[in-house]
Parts: sequence; C-alpha cells; structure tokens
Amino acid sequence: MDRDADPAFLALFAVRLALAFAPLHETLKYDQQLSSPLTSYSRLREGIYLFEHGVDPYSGGAFRHSPLLLSLFSTALPLTRYTSPVLWAVADSIAAWALVRIWRLRSGAKSTTRDRQVAALYLFNPYILLPSLAFSTSSLENALSLLSVMCASSGRASASLFTLATLIHLSLPSILLLVPILLLNITRPVSRLALPRLFDADLKRTLPLFIEFLGYATLLTLASTLVCGNWSWMGQTWGAFVTLPDLTPNPGMWWYFFTEMFDHFRPFFLMVFSVHLLIYVAPMCIKFQHDILYASFLIIGVLALFKPYPTLSDPGLFISMFALFPEIYPYLRHPIVTGLIHLHASLLLPLFNSLWLRQGTGNANFFYASTLVFGMGNGGALLDAVWAGLRIAVGKLEDGYEVIQE
Amino acid sequence: MPTIIQKVQGVFAAVRQRLRGGGDPNAARIRRRQALSQKLWRGLPFIRLVLFLVGYLWMLALPSSQFGQRIYIDENGLQPAQVHTYWNWNDVHRADRILDDLERLRDQNATSDQIASYSAGVFEKLGISARTQRYSFDTVDSTINGTNAYAVLESPRASGTEAILLSASWLSMTGEGDGTLNLRGVASVLALAGYLKKYSLWAKDLVFVISDGYLDGMQAFITTYHGLRQANLHAEPLELSSGVVWTALNIDYPGHSFSHLGLFFEGLNGRLPNQDLMNSVGMISRHTGGAPVLVYDHIDPRETPNVPSVVPSWVPQWLSNNEDVQEYAMRAKTIARHMNYQARGAASGVHGLLHQFRIDAITVFAVPATGPHGFYAIGKILESSLRTMNNLLERLHASFFFFLLVRPEIFMKIGMYLPSVILVGTAMLFSGLGEWVNAGWLLTSVPSVDDEKSKEAQPQLVEKWIRRDRPVLDAVMVMVSTHGVGYVLFEAIKRRLAHPSIFFLLFSAVPLLLARLPQQDRPGSAPTSAVLKALNLCFTSAVISITAVLNFSLAAALAVFMGIPLTVASSSPSPSIRLAKYTGYSILALGWLMFCPEETRKALWNWEVLRVWLAPFVCVVYVPLVLQSALVCWLPS
Repeated sequence: MDRDADPAFLALFAVRLALAFAPLHETLKYDQQLSSPLTSYSRLREGIYLFEHGVDPYSGGAFRHSPLLLSLFSTALPLTRYTSPVLWAVADSIAAWALVRIWRLRSGAKSTTRDRQVAALYLFNPYILLPSLAFSTSSLENALSLLSVMCASSGRASASLFTLATLIHLSLPSILLLVPILLLNITRPVSRLALPRLFDADLKRTLPLFIEFLGYATLLTLASTLVCGNWSWMGQTWGAFVTLPDLTPNPGMWWYFFTEMFDHFRPFFLMVFSVHLLIYVAPMCIKFQHDILYASFLIIGVLALFKPYPTLSDPGLFISMFALFPEIYPYLRHPIVTGLIHLHASLLLPLFNSLWLRQGTGNANFFYASTLVFGMGNGGALLDAVWAGLRIAVGKLEDGYEVIQE
Repeated sequence: MPTIIQKVQGVFAAVRQRLRGGGDPNAARIRRRQALSQKLWRGLPFIRLVLFLVGYLWMLALPSSQFGQRIYIDENGLQPAQVHTYWNWNDVHRADRILDDLERLRDQNATSDQIASYSAGVFEKLGISARTQRYSFDTVDSTINGTNAYAVLESPRASGTEAILLSASWLSMTGEGDGTLNLRGVASVLALAGYLKKYSLWAKDLVFVISDGYLDGMQAFITTYHGLRQANLHAEPLELSSGVVWTALNIDYPGHSFSHLGLFFEGLNGRLPNQDLMNSVGMISRHTGGAPVLVYDHIDPRETPNVPSVVPSWVPQWLSNNEDVQEYAMRAKTIARHMNYQARGAASGVHGLLHQFRIDAITVFAVPATGPHGFYAIGKILESSLRTMNNLLERLHASFFFFLLVRPEIFMKIGMYLPSVILVGTAMLFSGLGEWVNAGWLLTSVPSVDDEKSKEAQPQLVEKWIRRDRPVLDAVMVMVSTHGVGYVLFEAIKRRLAHPSIFFLLFSAVPLLLARLPQQDRPGSAPTSAVLKALNLCFTSAVISITAVLNFSLAAALAVFMGIPLTVASSSPSPSIRLAKYTGYSILALGWLMFCPEETRKALWNWEVLRVWLAPFVCVVYVPLVLQSALVCWLPS
C-alpha cells in the first residue's frame, strides 16, 4: 500500500477489509443516508444487468450512474459478492493513502508521527465507513477527489486533471473543484495560513492546464457516448444533478424543498440552487489565495453542505480532511458545539428515517428536521473552518486583546 | 417644543447609546460579548439548577388534573358507534355452548394440539378455512412448545389485500400470563367468527387467531405470517395467508362476567398504536355496548363502591379527601403503569407483538366482576369495532402515535410531556459544556504585571484564565472501551455464564483496569477525569433527548437514574472517599444484577423470544455511561 510498507498501514487495511466482509451490507444497502439514487449499489447492478442484456439502461429512470462506471464494472471489474467488498475497501484505502500523502506534502516531511492517525481518521470515520460498506459509489468519488488533490499538490498536473475530469463525470457538482485544483497545480500545498500573502504564481500558467482538462473531459464524454451508443446518458446522469428528477430522501437540503415546491416555480429554484453553489468558488479562492489547499478543503465543505444528492460520504470527506490542518485547531471557536450537533444529527437521522418510513409513526417532516440539524452541524463546521483559517494569521494574542470580524 | 419625530429619534439614540456604548462600536461589541459570556458563565450553575428543577417538577406534575385534553377521533373515516348491531341472544347462546366445550377441554387437561384442533374444527364447521401451526422456541432456560389455530375469512367485497386480525390467546394477560385461562375470550372469537360470516359487508379479510400460551404463540404466528426468520424459533409455515394487516383487536376475557372494559395498548420496545383505534373502541364500548371504559383495569374508587382508595393511607385525611389529590393519585397510578410497560419495552398484552409490523392493535380486557356484562355486550362492542375498522380506506396515519393516556377520555399530546425529559437532558448538556470549559481553562490568580503596581510592596493578584490541553483522545478511548465492556457483559449474561453476583464483582472491577489506559500526569494538561466527565455528560444528554422521541418512559427513567448522579460525580483527594464513590456508582450501574434477578430474567426472556431491546440497551448504553461516571470519581483530579 505504501512505499515504506508500514505494518501499521497494512494492519489498518486488513481491519478495513475484514469489516468489508462483515454481514452488514444487506442491512445497509437500501439506507437512504448512505447511498443516493445516483450512487446506489443496487441501481448500479440493475444498470449493468440491463446493459449486458442489450437494453439501454438510460431509457428508464432507475439508472443514473456514469457510463464510465457502467463500462468499468461490466468488463474489467465484475461486481460480485467477493469482488465488491474488496473493491470498496481498496478504494477507501487508496483515498486514505492519498490523504496521508497530502498531509506529508503539506508538512514537508517524508513521514510523520501523525500519518497513522490521518489514515485511521479516514478509514474509520463512520460517515465514510458506512456508505462504503453499503457500496455507495460516493466512496469512489471521495477517492477520486483526494487523488486529484494529491496529484495537484505533488505537481503531477496531468494526473490530477485527468482524475478531476473523471470525478466530474461521476458527479457534476464537483466542477466546483476545478478552479482550486488548477490553482493548486501551480502553487505549493505547504501551510501558509499563518503568513498570508498575495498570490505569486503566474495565473497564465493555468490556461494550458485548463485546455488539457477540457481535452480529458471531451475524451471521457466521447468515450461514454461510445459506450452507450447515444447521448441519452447526459440527461440521465449530469441532468439529474441540475433537474433533480428523483426526490428520494437523502441527508441533504434539496429533496424536501423540491417535494414541497409548486411545479411552476421549479425551474427557477433549480437554477437558484445550482448557481448558488458556484458563488462560493471565487471568494474562497481569493481569500485563501496564499493556501489554495485550504480553499479546496473549504469548497469540499461547501459541496458536503449544499450539493444535490449528497450521502454521508460527502460530509465525511470534509470532516476527515480536518486532519490535514492541525494548525487551525487552537483557533476553532466552537468545536464541541459542532461535535455535539453532529452527534445529535447522526442519532436523529436514522431514527427519524425509520420512524417515517419503517414504523410509520412519523412523517417526512421528522426526517427533514433531522437533515436540518445535520446541515447545521456541517454549516457550523464550515464556518468555523473559515474563521479559524483566517484567524490563525493574526496569531497568539496579548492579554486584553481580541479579534473581531467587521 | 420638539416634534414627535425628534423625540423618537432621541429615544433611538438613547437606546443605541445604551446598547453600543460610546466610542468605537467594535470595542463596545467586544465588551458586550465579554459581559454576556461572563454573565452566562456566572449564571451557569443557576441555569443548570433551574433546568433540572423545572424538568423534574414537570415530570412530577404530569398526573396533575391541570394537564391533558379530551380525546377526539381524528380520522373521519372511522365513524365509530354509527352502525346498528345485530349480535343477539342466539349468538350469545352459541358462545355459551362453545364455552362449555372449552371448559371440558380444560377439565380434561387437553394438550395444545387438542385445543388447537378443536378451535380449527369450529372454524371449519362454520365454513371458514382454518389450520393449526406448531411452534417451539429455544431459550437458554427452557424450550417453549405450543400450537396455534388460525382461520381466514375471505372478504366478499374486496380482493383481500388488506386484513383485520381478531385474536385471543389461550392464557389471559392476568398476572402477565400466570396461568389464568382466557376461555371466554377464545369463545367470543369462535362465536363471532360464525356470526360475522353471515354478513357480506366486509371489505377486508378477517384473520382469526387462537394463539397458544400468552405471548409466545402470537409471536410465532405473526413472525411466520410476515415471513421473518428468528434463529431460536421453529414454526410450521402457514398454509393460509391473507393481505396486509392494518388493524387488530385482541380479546381478553378471563372472568365470569365483567363490569368495565379495560384498554391495553403498549407494544414491544415502547411502541404505541394509533390513538384513533383506542378512542374508537372506547367510544363504541360506551355508546353501543354500554360498558364503561378504563385504562388498564384501574377502577376509579370515586365511581365504584367497595374499591379501596388509590391515595396511600399515610396521607392525612383532609388531603386525601381533596378532589385534586384523588385525581392526581388516580392519574399517577395510570402513568406509572404505562411507564412500567413502556420503559421496559414490554408488551402490555398480546396486541403488543403486532406493532412491530406496523399493525395498530390493542387488547380489550373484560375486567372480571360479578356483573353486569357478558358475551352480549362484548359481542356488540366487537362487531361495531370491526365495522369501524372495516371503514378505513387508508392506514391510520396522522401523527397520533405520541400520547400519554391519563384517563380513558383524557390524554396528553407530545408537547405537554416531552419537554420534561428534554429539560433534564439540556441541564446535563449545559453541565457537560461547563465541564468542557473547566477542563480547557484554569482560573488562577497571578501577580499583576502592571509596572506601577509592581513597585508597591504587595503585588496585586488578578484572576486570569490559563488555557490547558484537553486529553480528548484518552477520554474517548475510556468511553469506547467501557461500551465494549458493556457488550461483553451482555453476551455473558445472555449465556448465563456465571452467577449474577460474580458478574457484578467482575464487571465493576474491570473499569478499574481501564482507568490505567490514560497516560498519567501530563504536565500542563487537564486531568482525564475532567474531560471524561464533560464528554460523558454530553453523550448522556444526547442519548436521553433522542430516546425521548422513541420511548418517553425509558428516557424519563434514564433522566431519573442518571440526571443528578452523573452531574454530581467528581473526584476527591482522599482515596477512601474515591473508593466509596466508585462503589456507589458501580451499584447504580450494575446493582440490578444483584437486586433484581427476576426483572433481569424477564428482560433476557423478552430479548430471546420477542426481541425487546431493553437488555442490550441497559448493558451497552446505560451500564457503561454510569461506569464512566464511576471512573470520573476514581481517576485522580
């Protein structure tokens, strides 16, 4: 797994693999918090089955995975009872390895004492582990995000842009990461939070990178079309992120809003919700121009909070990435409050979901309320991360001094 | 003379001045924030006390006559007590003949098989398809065998996708299945089956079940009906099936005659049926059957002569004669019984097994008396109730599942009882946050460094907050391992590996080993016990608040057992006091092993046969939380 093959990493991987074969998948696979209609394993299997039997999987409304996954899993890596657990465990381990690599690049050390903690924090974060045990493809998306950030941090531009293009193919909202990844490619990932300065790299260098990215994206689009034989996959996969056709409950903010919406307002609010995501990119990248890795982290937080069809993996990725920035810990304003909100939310989400859909004693408002609590937890964590990232530049204070926000 | 506008502006300016203070608005903001947090910090003990007091007093006030509202029927489709009933004395005579047969079977000491085949035979003679089902449960203590009889009357008017279930168990709920037979209940169901078949108005299938034993027979039937597998249950597959069961009635009629009709409604794991069902049956009993309704078998001494008063005898005469006190005592008795069922997750009758399959079910209990009611009244009530249930076009839904019934016609909505427990939870949360601040900051007195003052002979001391590290990881490790210990405890007592007192000694000693986990004496950082207490309180508060939505009575019990004790846990410099405190908390955590062997046995039986979560919940959640508190007392501060 790692070049120096630390036995601790191997042990972590072994434990993760053992968990993958625990008989949990059956109880978790239909859980709405762990996999959305766009990442569900059973729908993926359904699509592959249709595809292999000569039916266009995109002609119905059930299958919304990318054609890339379709071709991958119907040819090279068949999904069976034995391969799937291994595949998802490997994906998680690759993601954890990427996270450790990013941490090493950031701290500028070959290996540190925190490496194992960082890896364990990713592999055994329940928000990441549970969707992965449910074989939600969001785990693969997480791995791609981290790989892309890792390659960008280590200066391997082509690899990072290719992974990013693949990621965007699987999950359109990740396009928010394009700008930070481009910028990360031309800067260093070391921590400059405490010493902010103006952006000093040459912005013009992003242009060829952007063109390269467009090339990869076109290539993948053509490949997908070749796999399907027509363009109908676009509306079913990318279109779903923008038009929200499937209102199956999930832990995000969108579904309830659009179940309650009158149809004639739908296009307008779909536009508002989608565009709203984009407005965070510029401010984050400008404010944290001295530390683009931190900006990428915040953008991942925004995605976790506001993206359509999130699963627990998305907030999980954001929370695990906190491990990369230990320097901000002393400056977090309310970590215990955020932690407690997350504790309450993670107990309430499954409880209210089952009160509504299993026991039938509650209703949709119950679950919606718990997703709001969850959103508060994620939003609190994001705001605190923004504050701490800025606050650290002021440094330790003398007695009697305070920092405030204008 | 200033104009009104000027005056208003003056007032605004004054308010602004007051709020922001003069000078730099930012400085004023900081000052305001500091003042607020100072005030909050100073007031924290007071806020906490108020929250605890209000929470506990609210719990005590629940039986007060000031709370509650009249019941009503929420689902208009039900139309209870709106039909003419045709059950008459001929049918009563048939019921009596069936009862004669059943009594003969009882006197012959008939086996389960014989009784079941008799019941199935009665159904078959009436032209209703019927079968029997044998089952057995393996528990650690013993094996339970039995035979159910069941019959399906197919709906003449619909496709049979929905069904109503009518059941009676062989053993009555009296004394939780102490051996009293439910002969008249069984006879009612058998006689009703023949009677109901004559009518073509059924829009739902009627499923009749004569279950063997008290709870075990129905558990075997209903899990098989829903195709569920339970490892220790061996039951024959059902040959007849019907549709989705929406509602169910269970009849318990152990006596010769009855005076009141009692409603039992608590299901497994604290689930309650939709209140509309109980309200409808209650209304029908009053208006169609003429039988007064009770919650459980609690007869009100004010309405019936020769019933001993509910108010305890030590209460002075002038108080016990007070109307409000009597009402309080009556309601308290009802609430206590409800909480006893719900907190234990126990079913108050056979109906309770059905809730887990989303079936709204209650038991109607004919309270034994010398009169005046009998088969005639119960037949009419059941006929009319079934007609009401037959009216439903969709499941009973509306959020009518969260209630506290204090009298047959008075109930409390969730908003009136839930805050009591939530307030206690909030008080614990605030205590936890206070401890968290305490663990991270140390208020010390340091000599003032001001130049002018240092020239004086005595350097002035000023209070100063010093930040210190919190060993969070150590505390979390201790918490996780205590929950692990709890799991081991559960597995051990489930298998009855040793005598309970050995378990008690063993599992109260194990945490002492865990106490060695945290790194000792790290200079400059807070003691592990402080962080452990903070996290323990916060976690407990989350557990209590969230359980409250699912099972109010359990949450109330947790609030009573853990609220104050966990908050006041603290270390002490003297080792003997620490040991004493540790022992006290161990008894609070594990004392049930020693002092409630019967309750423990029941909880384990309920887990093995009925999948009631109480035993694992106590072992994996409650015991570890209190043990953590014991460790807070044990670890050096």
